[in-house]
Amino acid sequence: MNPNYLSVPIENYIGLSAVMFFLGVVGVIVRRNPLIMLMSIELMFNAANLALVTFAKAWANNVGHIFAFLVITVAAAEAAIGLAIVVIVFRKAKNVDVDEIATLHG
Amino acid sequence: MSAVQHFSLGIDGSYPLLFLIWLLPLLGAMLLWAFGPQLKSLAGPIGAALVGTAFVAALFSWNDATALRGVSGGAHQMLLSWMPGFTFGLLFDRLSLTWTLIITGVGFLIHLYSIGYMAGDRAFARFFAFMNFFVFAMLTLVLSDNFVGLLVGWGLVGLASYFLIGFWFERPAAVAAARKAFVINVLGDVGILYAIFLIFSKVGSIAYADAFGNVTRSFTPHELFIVCLALFIGCAAKSAQVPLHTWLPDAMEGPTPVSALIHAATMVTAGVYLIARCAPLWNASAEARALVGVIGAITALAGAVLGIAQWDIKRILAYSTMSQIGYMIMAVGVGAFNAGVLHFLTHAFFKAQLFLGAGIIIHELANEQDVRRMGGLRKQLPFAFVAMSVGVLAICGIPPFSGYFSKDAVLYGTLAHGHPYLYAVGVITAGLTAYYMFRLLFVTFFGAYRGAVDLSDLGIRHPELAGTQVQGAATAHDHAPAPTWLMTLPVAILIVPSIAIGWLAIGGAESPWTKFFAPLFPAAAENGAAPPISELASGAIVLVVVLIGIVLAYLKYGTKSALAGSVERLRVETVRMAPVLANAYYFDAAIDALIVRPAYALGRFFGTVVDPIVVDGGVREVSHTAGWLGHLFRSFQTGLVRGYAFYLVVGVACFVVYYAVIGAGR
Repeated sequence: MNPNYLSVPIENYIGLSAVMFFLGVVGVIVRRNPLIMLMSIELMFNAANLALVTFAKAWANNVGHIFAFLVITVAAAEAAIGLAIVVIVFRKAKNVDVDEIATLHG
Repeated sequence: MSAVQHFSLGIDGSYPLLFLIWLLPLLGAMLLWAFGPQLKSLAGPIGAALVGTAFVAALFSWNDATALRGVSGGAHQMLLSWMPGFTFGLLFDRLSLTWTLIITGVGFLIHLYSIGYMAGDRAFARFFAFMNFFVFAMLTLVLSDNFVGLLVGWGLVGLASYFLIGFWFERPAAVAAARKAFVINVLGDVGILYAIFLIFSKVGSIAYADAFGNVTRSFTPHELFIVCLALFIGCAAKSAQVPLHTWLPDAMEGPTPVSALIHAATMVTAGVYLIARCAPLWNASAEARALVGVIGAITALAGAVLGIAQWDIKRILAYSTMSQIGYMIMAVGVGAFNAGVLHFLTHAFFKAQLFLGAGIIIHELANEQDVRRMGGLRKQLPFAFVAMSVGVLAICGIPPFSGYFSKDAVLYGTLAHGHPYLYAVGVITAGLTAYYMFRLLFVTFFGAYRGAVDLSDLGIRHPELAGTQVQGAATAHDHAPAPTWLMTLPVAILIVPSIAIGWLAIGGAESPWTKFFAPLFPAAAENGAAPPISELASGAIVLVVVLIGIVLAYLKYGTKSALAGSVERLRVETVRMAPVLANAYYFDAAIDALIVRPAYALGRFFGTVVDPIVVDGGVREVSHTAGWLGHLFRSFQTGLVRGYAFYLVVGVACFVVYYAVIGAGR
């Protein structure tokens, strides 16, 4: 398949993916609300998915597509479990600040 | 050296009797130890019977031992061959035979005696288990055909001695004496171990046959002297030679049969055995001969001098043992091996007899050992008097008692090997011996019984300091139990060899004794210039000195007036002797000051400086470091999820930078 098939240059996709991933990272590091942190993690997943699909399309290799589906599945499971944990922690600790529940410090 | 290199148990069965002699006492020890409580009063007869059987087996092996095969003759039984130079076997030649017959023969009689003496003791079976164990250990020592087997036996007899000195372990003095004996003996073991290392490094074998094969080629004179010296440290510790003798008088805390068997007849003569066994080494080293001869003479004299100042009947005998072993060591030291071994033989009989006789007295007087509280026992204990008299006459060297011949041989031997000074010391010692033994005889058996006399009238202020052991004061002796036949019979049997065994040596170079040992100690070894006087003249000189000693003892203790005023005389002597007694213990004080206290100081130094700072300090530093590291890493474990995420990102960033740089480099 011809790489020129893509009307938008590949650098743009990868750049968008990198920006999204970086936003996710910053979100996880600087925000203290677990819900926002979960959303940031979703953002990183999707940035990864975008990169996977882009490379799969560019190099005409379907493995990337398949792997993107896998990531979507894992992300869904992660969201489900993560939200459940957040709900339980909220019930216990009566707040949603992750820094306040740092009970596993050394 | 054996060419057999594989590990093999070689019971070729050529000398099955040898195994019987060697292992029957071990069987007895294990049997009595395991089933003592069940056997009860049977323990004694069983123990005695096994040792007696070993004696009979040794008698039946006479021809094997005296057969003239190989280098020194005798029977050699291979046990196992381990690696080159390390072969273990039993050697049963004329020298081993002599010792084996004494160990099992006198041992059997003393076992018999012990059945009567120890009757009613709570640990009756334990006593016989230890005695059998001792016999086994001593047989291991004398039957071994190599130095390592000898050292094993050497160590085991020390252990048996420790067990038996501390037999009445409820008494603190017995425990202290046992510990002292053991520590000093281990010092000797170390000396022998060092000698074995030297011999193995030079010869490449531990067997006697290899070590003595070619002495002058295997060792330089200096090395030979060191080997002899290291061996002699072992002999000095085991045979109570100055300055390692201090344990022997204390060892009298053990039961009297133990003193008779271990600390008079057999174990303490192990040093004599070792030097006689190593005759080729001593023959080749003039320095070693001189050193050992001098030490033996000093010990003989010191023992006799100390024996004069004792009141405890067993301590008098202990110092006389030390003195007599000094004679033996002097003889074998200067190279008169025949004479030394002969004196061992006669001494084993008459000293065992003296101890067993003393045991009868102690038994009768309910554990009284202080001769000042005896007196007049001639009428109460006529049998003990006869037995002790024979022993005293033998030890003093009155012909025709055995001691005359052996002591004469020893003294003449020193002269024949060119040591007139040692001869002079030996003659003086003979006089002193006669003095203190007759003092013992007069004070104990003549005059009036002093058991009921008040202690202060005899000048005894501190019974325990005076070396006596007052467990139960001697009660009225007229209803004391008569000695059983089990106690009198062995002593009666011992009287015969005490008188007659020395006759073996009649005839000088042509005597049966000299001929018996000719294959082991060839006459060529008895080198030296012709002595200035004949053997008969030497014997006459000794006899005169001995008679002077006896007369002096008689004038001081034996005359009618001396006996009549014995209480007052003993009081005066006791009071006057207090500093003498203290002087007798300068050895203990010196060892205390020179070795024990520095050792304690060293221990304190290590305890207060080295241990807390170096050892504990090292351990503490390790734990401190671990704690510090833990503290460091702990600070990373904030529990903040965002922090962990940040570490993750930093880590990824590091990877990225790394691969970017490396990738750029490629």
